[in-house]
Amino acid sequence: MHIDSGATRDPVMLFMRMASPWVFIDEIRRFVKSFCACASPGLDREEYLALAVHELMQNAVACSGSQPVELSLEIDSASDRVSIQVTNACTPEQAAALQERVDRMRQEPDALKHYLAAMAGTSPSERGGLGLARIHFESQLGLEVFFEAGHVTVQAAGKLALPNANESRVSNV
Amino acid sequence: MSEAKAKQAASATGVRVGDQKYSAELVNELEGPVVRFRGTISTHSPAVLLNPFVDSVHEELVKTCAPAVIVDFRELEFCNSSGFKAFIHWIERLQEVGETGRYRLRFVTSPQRRWQRTSLLALSCFAPNEVELE
Repeated sequence: MHIDSGATRDPVMLFMRMASPWVFIDEIRRFVKSFCACASPGLDREEYLALAVHELMQNAVACSGSQPVELSLEIDSASDRVSIQVTNACTPEQAAALQERVDRMRQEPDALKHYLAAMAGTSPSERGGLGLARIHFESQLGLEVFFEAGHVTVQAAGKLALPNANESRVSNV
Repeated sequence: MSEAKAKQAASATGVRVGDQKYSAELVNELEGPVVRFRGTISTHSPAVLLNPFVDSVHEELVKTCAPAVIVDFRELEFCNSSGFKAFIHWIERLQEVGETGRYRLRFVTSPQRRWQRTSLLALSCFAPNEVELE
């Protein structure tokens, strides 16, 4: 793990590479929450960024087998941006399915509408299908997928400072 | 009411679920039935345990003609999206009931755990007739 925090207005970066079993994702979420609270004090974004990391990590660990998963987090207060990237080994078919899911999300400009459609279309007895929509609506981050040399990277990025009132989340998203 | 009296007033129903990181239980309290969740729901496939639990709670509430159930999240640290599906399953079971016998899900959240209200806000938009946020 490498933590790089320069002057207060410089971007704050966190990088982790792990071959960790599923049970450690809770510990990563708690650490990321604490890290984000320290890196962006007063913005009340830490729970939502930790939620996004948790959902992305669970997706990555589920399909990476015993291969390592990489997490990269950058908080840039000066440009009001946050970016989370999670990279894992996957097949071209898995990457294409992920890309298709994100493409569908981007076709619907209203994050809540997309989330509700995902809820209606999901199978309650199977895992998967809601996490990305949840990140988009609850964490208010846009998603992109990159696939190269057998590895997929899912990036969740957006504004760092946001009105956190849920009423504004519904009306503004 | 003192804590001891409150405990006496609550009666266990025997409907409960739990694994290493979370537990949930249906109890009857003075204000009515309460399902209290504790811990962290973040296993790979929470539905394996949670959906049968939700089914048991649902059957008990329908049997007793409860108008509402309090779903207490205050001690729930986190719930992943797969765990959240159990509440979608619950709503689907609820929507199978005729309107006259249908009860409401009244969620109680912790102000310190801000994700709870946001997650449940979406759930209340999904099922506005079945879900209330207190």
